[in-house]
Amino acid sequence: MNDAQEIRYQIEEQIELLSERNKEPEWMTRLRYRGLKAFLEAPHNDPVIKDPLEFVIHRSQEIFPEVKSLDDLPPEMRSLLDRLGIAEVEKKYVTGLAVQSDTSIVLNEFLKQWREKGLIVESMEDAIRNHPHLKERFMHLFDPGESKLAAYHTAVWNGGVYIRVKSGLKVPMPLHLFFLIQNSALAQAPHIIIEAEPGSEIHLIEGCTSPILLRHSLHLDMTEAYIGEGAKLRLSVLQNWPEYVHTRPMTRARVGKNAEFINTTVGLGTGKSNIANPKYWVDKGGYVELNTIILGKKDFYIDMGGEMYLQGIGARGLNASKSVIMDNSRVITKGIIKAMAPKTKGHISCDALILNSSAKMETYPGLVSHVDDAELSHEAAIGKIREEELFYLMSRGLKEEEATQLIVKGFVDPLLKDIPMEFVVEIRKIIEMAVSGGF
Amino acid sequence: MESLLKIENLRVAVENKEIINGLNLNVGRGEFHIVMGPNGSGKSTLALALMGHPKYEIKEGKIEFEGKEIVGLSPDERARRGIFMAFQHPEEIEGVKIIDYLRLLLEKVKGMEPLKAQEIIAKKAKELWFSPDMLHRYINVGFSGGERKRFEILQALLLEPKLLILDEPDSGVDVDSLSLISLKMREFHKRGMAILLITHYGRILQHIDPKIVHVHILKEGRIVLSGKEELVERIEKEGFKKVFEECGCNE
Ligand SMILES: Nc1ncnc2c1ncn2[C@@H]1O[C@H](COP(=O)(O)OP(=O)(O)OP(=O)(O)O)[C@@H](O)[C@H]1O
Ligand SMILES: [Mg+2]
Repeated sequence: MNDAQEIRYQIEEQIELLSERNKEPEWMTRLRYRGLKAFLEAPHNDPVIKDPLEFVIHRSQEIFPEVKSLDDLPPEMRSLLDRLGIAEVEKKYVTGLAVQSDTSIVLNEFLKQWREKGLIVESMEDAIRNHPHLKERFMHLFDPGESKLAAYHTAVWNGGVYIRVKSGLKVPMPLHLFFLIQNSALAQAPHIIIEAEPGSEIHLIEGCTSPILLRHSLHLDMTEAYIGEGAKLRLSVLQNWPEYVHTRPMTRARVGKNAEFINTTVGLGTGKSNIANPKYWVDKGGYVELNTIILGKKDFYIDMGGEMYLQGIGARGLNASKSVIMDNSRVITKGIIKAMAPKTKGHISCDALILNSSAKMETYPGLVSHVDDAELSHEAAIGKIREEELFYLMSRGLKEEEATQLIVKGFVDPLLKDIPMEFVVEIRKIIEMAVSGGF
Repeated sequence: MESLLKIENLRVAVENKEIINGLNLNVGRGEFHIVMGPNGSGKSTLALALMGHPKYEIKEGKIEFEGKEIVGLSPDERARRGIFMAFQHPEEIEGVKIIDYLRLLLEKVKGMEPLKAQEIIAKKAKELWFSPDMLHRYINVGFSGGERKRFEILQALLLEPKLLILDEPDSGVDVDSLSLISLKMREFHKRGMAILLITHYGRILQHIDPKIVHVHILKEGRIVLSGKEELVERIEKEGFKKVFEECGCNE
């Protein structure tokens, strides 16, 4: 048997397992097979992962006990939630916490109450069975054939969450989602669909920090967001991966008329390599904001793209990134904004603070206008901590490390405005640890 | 007076150019010393070298603080031992909020509890005319000349050093701020701090008892003349050129 055949069998086996376990409708299984076909044919051009097959074949067989409530979580996960101050968050926001395990969602009282008002949070596996219209949503902002990794995700996606906010429903407190994928015999490929119906508002905080995920070294999550007219969606993603994981987060959103999407990513532990290229299509009067904070350390490779298509009159887009780069890490920013309608506005800003000379930063802003009266601009500032500012702070008694941390914190803080204070505190702690080399 | 700062035969170079060459100075505990000298004579270089700026290389000589050699110590170690230098040109530090900075300073350097620190910062800031809003701005960013100088004094007030080096706290400040800074200097002196004041003008001494000050004149990196308060008046009246001619300091 040759390699290609072996791969085909392996993936087929996974597809069959998933489709049976999830009692999937036929359209989903067909979609998975389309993914498999595309996987064998699609181009692969990842700068870090030379051979994606490496990740398909290596699977471990560990099985974890089923999770029904927060109390059943493995101790590492519990302690992580504690460390992130989830208990505090829960008290404060009357609880908007949903923990996603393999196929079920651990719902708490808060979510049960809000479900009656029109907030649906279901595991993706359940949602596929419960909501036939997802056939028109699932993989509609992606094409399985666009890359090997997208194709592989299509074939073997598992886990993830479906969220729908009913028209006009405004959810006043952030909803926290944590991903916990237990059955590590499968690839890490959760699929997320968010539907914010017209006039609705919600803030989702995704903590991709699960220490359980570590058994796999490639994480391929996909998010599709559909934001209806006048709706407001905030999606804040906190990444804190172990350093041997490669992550390829794929996010896409359709931003409706006068709708707003604030997409913030805080990549503290981005994993060994992290390549993202979120895409957004913005309708008339709509607004999209991509805020990225990246901590590049060790030999990490991080590429945070971002493509914004301003398709409707007066659509606006902002792509703002701040990176703190150290050790031998390499950070690349390649934001693209295309103005395709009159009176659109786009801005790319890219700030980096480089802590030592072997760390590298590259920035390639791409502004493309198809119309006369679009306003597109970009600014980039790549700097080091100046000797004079360090001396000023040290001359008052701060140690070099304390002074550096203070400057780094000041650099990063402005982009943390959307993140609840409890997380900001945790984020600062992680940054401090990284800067002081204790990480 | 017991010696606090003792400088012996100090030679300091910046970018391989010798700026201070063979300077001697003794400051006793609680004493008030003034250093004057023409532009470029090395006053700021002396202050920065005392604080341990990495660009200012000590070629020769000794700096003892409380009887212990401090050459080779990092700036923060010197600060923790009780030396404070108010900069002639305070740095702007983008992104770092004054309130966060001062709190950290009191916590790390003085071991103060956050609540206590908060209280003291609010109180002392008010004494130096800083509004609560101002404390949420970034360090020195967009500050006027006078605001910068008052902010330096505020930090000294919070840290309560044993030796306070003030590098032209009076340049660029208005009449009212000048009076405030002079009053604060008197307060520092009364609390027993030693002061090493670098200035070009006697006005800053308006609230200081003239009898207590020791005056030193710096010329090309060396102290060529020392005396009492009259020396300040003489320089203000006659200028450095004439004074140097009269004392034969040009040899
Ligand atoms: N970082 C530096 N790099 C190069 N030259 C320097 C540096 N710092 C000081 N100098 C030089 O050393 C000499 C003394 O400068 P310094 O700032 O100590 O003078 P000063 O007495 O404080 O003058 P002023 O009254 O104008 O403040 C000057 O010629 C100055 O140009
Ligand atoms: Mg000077």
